[in-house]
Parts: sequence; C-alpha cells; structure tokens
Amino acid sequence: MAQPKKKIIIDTDPGIDDAMAIFVALRSPELEVIGLTTIFGNVYTTLATRNALHLLEVAGRTDIPVAQGSHLTITKGTKLRIADFVHGTDGLGNQNFAPPRGKAIEQSAATFLVQQANLYPGEVTVVALGPLTNIALALELDPDFAKKIGQIVLLGGAFAVNGNVNPAAEANIFGDPDAADLVFISGADILAVGINITHQVVLTDTDREKLSKSKGKLAQYLCKILEVYFSYHHDAYNTAGVYLHDPTTLLAAVNPSLLTYAEGVVRVQTSGIMRGLTIFYNKKKSFGEVTEWSDKPNVKVAVTVDAPAVVELVMERLMNS
Amino acid sequence: MIDVDGESKPCSISADPEKVIIDTDPGIDDSMAIFMAFQSPEIEVIGMTTIFGNVGTKDATRNALLLCEIAERPDVPVAEGSYEPLKRGEPRVADFVHGSDGLGNISLPPPKGSKTEKTAAEFLVEKASHYPGEVSILALGPLTNLALAIKSDSTFASNVKKIVILGGAFFALGNVNPAAEANVNIDFAIFMFHEDLAELRESKGRHAQLLSDMCKFYRDWHVKSDGLHGIFLHDPVSFVALVRPDLFSYKKGVVRVETQGICVGHTLMDQGLKKWNSSNPWSEYSPVSVAWTVDVDQVVTHVKKLLMKP
Repeated sequence: MAQPKKKIIIDTDPGIDDAMAIFVALRSPELEVIGLTTIFGNVYTTLATRNALHLLEVAGRTDIPVAQGSHLTITKGTKLRIADFVHGTDGLGNQNFAPPRGKAIEQSAATFLVQQANLYPGEVTVVALGPLTNIALALELDPDFAKKIGQIVLLGGAFAVNGNVNPAAEANIFGDPDAADLVFISGADILAVGINITHQVVLTDTDREKLSKSKGKLAQYLCKILEVYFSYHHDAYNTAGVYLHDPTTLLAAVNPSLLTYAEGVVRVQTSGIMRGLTIFYNKKKSFGEVTEWSDKPNVKVAVTVDAPAVVELVMERLMNS
Repeated sequence: MIDVDGESKPCSISADPEKVIIDTDPGIDDSMAIFMAFQSPEIEVIGMTTIFGNVGTKDATRNALLLCEIAERPDVPVAEGSYEPLKRGEPRVADFVHGSDGLGNISLPPPKGSKTEKTAAEFLVEKASHYPGEVSILALGPLTNLALAIKSDSTFASNVKKIVILGGAFFALGNVNPAAEANVNIDFAIFMFHEDLAELRESKGRHAQLLSDMCKFYRDWHVKSDGLHGIFLHDPVSFVALVRPDLFSYKKGVVRVETQGICVGHTLMDQGLKKWNSSNPWSEYSPVSVAWTVDVDQVVTHVKKLLMKP
C-alpha cells in the first residue's frame, strides 16, 4: 500500500540550487507540493516570484500556487545583499528566459502558510530555503501556527563552522536574523540543516556531465543554468563542484534517515559584528546562571549526512525527469 | 588558547630564563599555574598583574601577594589591575567555582606584603619597553589590563615578545553560557582525575598539600556542573603552552570577539577556507595562532611533574 504523500510548501528564493530542489521535489513520488512561497535572498522577492512561476511552467506544473512573500525583513529592513554573483543577475544563470505567463495568487506568503496549516493541521511540512521572514510573519499572524504546522525543515545556520557570508554568518540567517531567532524559539518542530552539512554534499563536474547526457528534460534545463554556479564555487572555494544546499534540505524532508541530528536550543545573534551567528546548545552542560538559551524549546540540528546517497538521489530524480 | 605573535618552538634550555609577567585572577587553577611558573627554571617571573574574574580585582591582588609569599618569592612585584571591564559595568565574578576567597575557602592568612604603586597597565607598559622583545605575558583572566596597556602605548604590542592568552571557545560551547567562555575563553578538555589529585596529595610536591586542600572546592563544583570527578586544568595548560608550545598544534586566523547582544563574549576565528567577496569585520586584521590540538598525556605529565617537584 502506498504511503500517503507528504504535503510540502517550499519557501524559496530561486536561485540555481533552489531550482534544483524544486525540480527534485516535483519528481519525488513521496511528496505533494501544495504551494511555493517566495522570499528575498539569492534575488529580490519580486524576481523570486517570477522565477518560481517560470520554474513551475518549465516543469509543467502551473497547477501549483505561488504566493509572494515579504519584500522587507521582520524588522522592516530592506534587503541590502543579494547573491547575483552566485546565481546570476536573473537568479537563474543569466539565460534570458521569457517572463512567465502565470501570476502569483492574491494571498501573501504568510497568509497562505497560515491557511494551509489550518486546512491540514499537523500535516504540512514547510521546506524553507531562504531567509525565514515569511515563517516569522506566519507565527505573528497566527499564534497557533507553530503547533499547526507539521514540520519546518530549514536551510540555515553554520553550526561550529565559519559562515558563508562572513566568518560568523550563513546567508539565509544573515538575511533576517531577527526572523530566524523568532522561528528557532517558536516551539515548532524544526529540523535545521546548516552549511556544516551542505558543504559536504558536492555535485561534481562529472555529475554535471552525466546530467547533461541524460534524457531528463529538467536535467537538461538545469545544466544550462548551472554554469554560473560552478564558476562561483570555483573562484570562492576553489572546488571542482557545487554545494547542493537546497536539494539536500529538500531531501531531508523526503527521507530524514539521510541525516542524523542532535537536539537542543538554537539562538541567533541579531546585532554586532556577529549578526546572523547561530549558536546551538545541546543542554549537555549546566551553567551557573540563567542564560538566553535556558527554558527555550528544542529544535533538531543536522550533524551528519550521507552525502553520496543525497547526490545519488538528486541525480536519479533529475535524470528521470 | 591564543598565542599572539608567538613562535611555536620550545624554549631553549641553555638560554637565559624567559621573562614572564602573569596577568591573573587567582583562582585555584591560577594558583597551580603560578606555582608551576615558580618551579620552572626556564622562566623568570618578573611580576604579576591582577584582574577580576575568578574573584574581584582586590581579592585577586591579595591572593597574588599571598601566593608569592607561599612560594617564598615576596620579591616579585604585584601590580593591581582594573576593577571593571573596558565598557560594561560590574564584572562577573566566579566565586561559585573557586570559593568566596578565590582559593577554595581554606582560611589562608592575609599577605604581609603589599602591591606596587603602579597600575597593572603601567607596569606592563614599563616592563615591555624596558626589555623590548623579551617579555612574554601569560594572560589567565579577562584581557582588560592588556587592552589598557595597548591603548596607552602604541608600541606595547610590538614590544612584548608574545602573549599567551587563555581565552575563547572556538567552535565549541562556552563555559559561561553556550556562546561565551569566561575570560572571553577556550576549553581544552584537559583534566586531572580524582586519582591524579590523590597522587598529587601524596607526593612531596612543594605546594602539593595546599593545592590539594584548595582543589576540594573546585572539584566539588566540577562534579555539580559537568558531572565530572576531577578538575579542568585551564590555567596550568596555558602555562604549559608558554614553555612547551611544541605540545600543541595551532591554526592561524583573525579572531574577533562579539561585544554586544546575546552572544557577547563569543570568539570567532576566520579559518580562511573561503575567499570573501566583500570586506567584513575580520578583513584586514592580523592573524593570531589559536591552539587547535594538544598532546593531552604529555601536558598532564608536565603539569604533574612540576606540581610534584619538591
């Protein structure tokens, strides 16, 4: 008997590896993608919405609604840093795609998240691939959102390693540290996948070659947009491959056994030179005084990953697309 | 542990003893490190400067004077340091770790001697400029005195030979809270077990009896806090890093400390694994050496050897 499909909403800022994650999701029989919500990050929110619509059209899934998210951070800050040097000025490898035919739905991302959580209490998984502003807004909109949402699997944080924006901070958390802190202490069932995990999951030149030789339609599409992403990784990290941040996080929602995790409290530094720093406290040590980590709910933080299995699964799903 | 401007070479035995100033907040494990320094012929302790931390600064001064007298070195000058941090009000004092007097509440008498006229920062600046390139500083407490010395004399940093700092929790949980270590600070999990302490007590070590008595309070706290039957050797290990840098491996990188927010006191090193595409608070500062791995057995052996030396 087939397992019921897991309902997921992907909160995303596409983004080249977001595109991969979205395609992998659409080709995963275990998942039912019930919506995409958009956020700034790799690109501005407006472009994220346009790219989300475009990607669904490429995949022939215009039935899936796209809800546009916030343009500003939770503290009403403007997004100063976008990652066009990673993903291209259009977010999708500078390919001059035609604008999408479809439109975003009327509802905002936060309203859509709250509505779906109410519609299917405990059943919806949010896979959050960008800054956590929309999730934080959903928590503000509905105090019960943390209880009603099934799980939040998020790409964010640099646990016991340097960040990727600067030595302290990972890009998604840095994008809205206040929102991230709110989400981490909300009491929701959270699995955080940080760059300490995703930096182990590398798609090599050889893998890309295999993708381009496959008959998969989505694989073919991705090979075109991957050029910019590969050249950024080569310059910044001196690697002959690219990190699969978003696809890894997505697969964590499909098959949690690809990872192991520890439980404890995560807080985010929201000011100073280390703004965006994530500190995980596993509660193994007791402190002489009450700390900012005391009496906060636990989240799960990924500590190991079966990287070859993740890459293989990504390849398999894209090559059969 | 951080080694500023240090060469990772063991001290040559034939050379003149290395001039060292110990900046300290004694403290039980500070006491161990201080006694170890006095028992090391390759080291000449030319002074102590005091700071708040394990105890308040005034108590730190009293304890430093007392420790010099117990070690029969009342000639060593003790200069009192700052009463409070550079910027943030009341210092945090760890009397629950070291006892209210800092030395394990074993009713030690007051010292006979008194502190020098100079402040710690003045003393540091004076010695560094008097012996340029010769004075090493072993900093076992918060770094306020060193910061004041650097502020008051721009040549101080280049005049000192090296600064070995017990500080920072690098990519590990802190010991004050999950973000911060007490001095700013590192925890090597180097440990003296119950059995090691018993061995120390029964040895002919010059100060073995006294240290064993003081350690009782410290050990009880470790049992309560970490569930461990023994004690961490923070300050003694820093001392070993000064005389036996070869027992450690180091990573070099720029280290910054957060001064605000919930992660105040967090130390973070840029490991240099990524080429940043824009400047950040770590850009354009000089790298320091951070002790990364340690030969635990050899360090513990060295600590025990010095503490059991008659």
